[in-house]
Amino acid sequence: MKHTILATALLGLAGAAQAAEGERVQITGEIIDTWCYYSGVMGPPESTTGTAHHTCALWCSAGGIPVGLLGDDGEVYMVLKIEGDDGSASGDTQLRLASHEITADGMLYRRDGLNYLVVEDVVADNGIVNQTHDDWGVIPGFAIPDPEG
Amino acid sequence: MRKLIALLVLIATPVAAQDFSANSEARPWNLVAEVPARFEATVVDLLCELAGDCPANCGDGRRQLGLLRSADGVLVYPNKNSQPAFTGAAVELQPFCGKDVEVDGLMITDPELNVDNVYLVQTIRKVGDTEWTKANQWTKVWADSNPDAEGKGPWFRRDPRVNGFIEKDGYLGLGQEVDDAFIADWF
Repeated sequence: MKHTILATALLGLAGAAQAAEGERVQITGEIIDTWCYYSGVMGPPESTTGTAHHTCALWCSAGGIPVGLLGDDGEVYMVLKIEGDDGSASGDTQLRLASHEITADGMLYRRDGLNYLVVEDVVADNGIVNQTHDDWGVIPGFAIPDPEG
Repeated sequence: MRKLIALLVLIATPVAAQDFSANSEARPWNLVAEVPARFEATVVDLLCELAGDCPANCGDGRRQLGLLRSADGVLVYPNKNSQPAFTGAAVELQPFCGKDVEVDGLMITDPELNVDNVYLVQTIRKVGDTEWTKANQWTKVWADSNPDAEGKGPWFRRDPRVNGFIEKDGYLGLGQEVDDAFIADWF
């Protein structure tokens, strides 16, 4: 009996390290730059979304920083694939969708405190709707070159 | 039964108590939630690891890569390389696809943002090697891939794809008219 309990417990510990099973989800939110959002390097997280941060979001996406979907629930979903495009490191599809509000249908994988999303279908693309520049200007401040040089 | 429980606690404790900052020589970035972290891991293709979608050579550089930590099996997500230039980590890790490595860098752990296991990688080496490789190759790889993107300034001012979107939608993404009004007020 003890051997059975021990074996079950050890299997449980080992199992915790294995990939979680995917779950079908539909999530609406904004495609964001995850590093600026999480690290605070540019300021508070709300300053790293929307129009204020759009140029930086383009830079980071093109630079191979992971993009995420900031859901209406406040959770960040790390995007690994969008409609068959697995270019999650500087790919064209994720770059085109920078700062867009989309509704994504796909598979969610939860692992070690992070959410990972494989988007099978972009059900809706509402474009850029989160107008944060009135509150934050542009982040970082040098995102727009000074017209005076 | 008590002995069994004690044994399980002993098994679990070293994993829970791991301190990955002990031998780290990572350079601070003064980020709010950074913690130095040096550890051994296997470089994995995240889509393969999570969803069983496994092309050859971790997707040949298209995909984000993860670090499957040897000590506890935790999947760490390297979001950033060591360059302060809007650059990610996949390019730095791609040469180590499928290999066992040691990395040094900064872990981002912030309960307020519900984030853990996001990582900035500064140096990498294969397990057993003595020499470290700096995780700062992104801009060189970009320059080699964009020989026509000449001119002054950093890569992000000269990147053809980025500049294409800015030309089309403006810096705010809302079109030239909104940009013009904002710029007149901003500067």
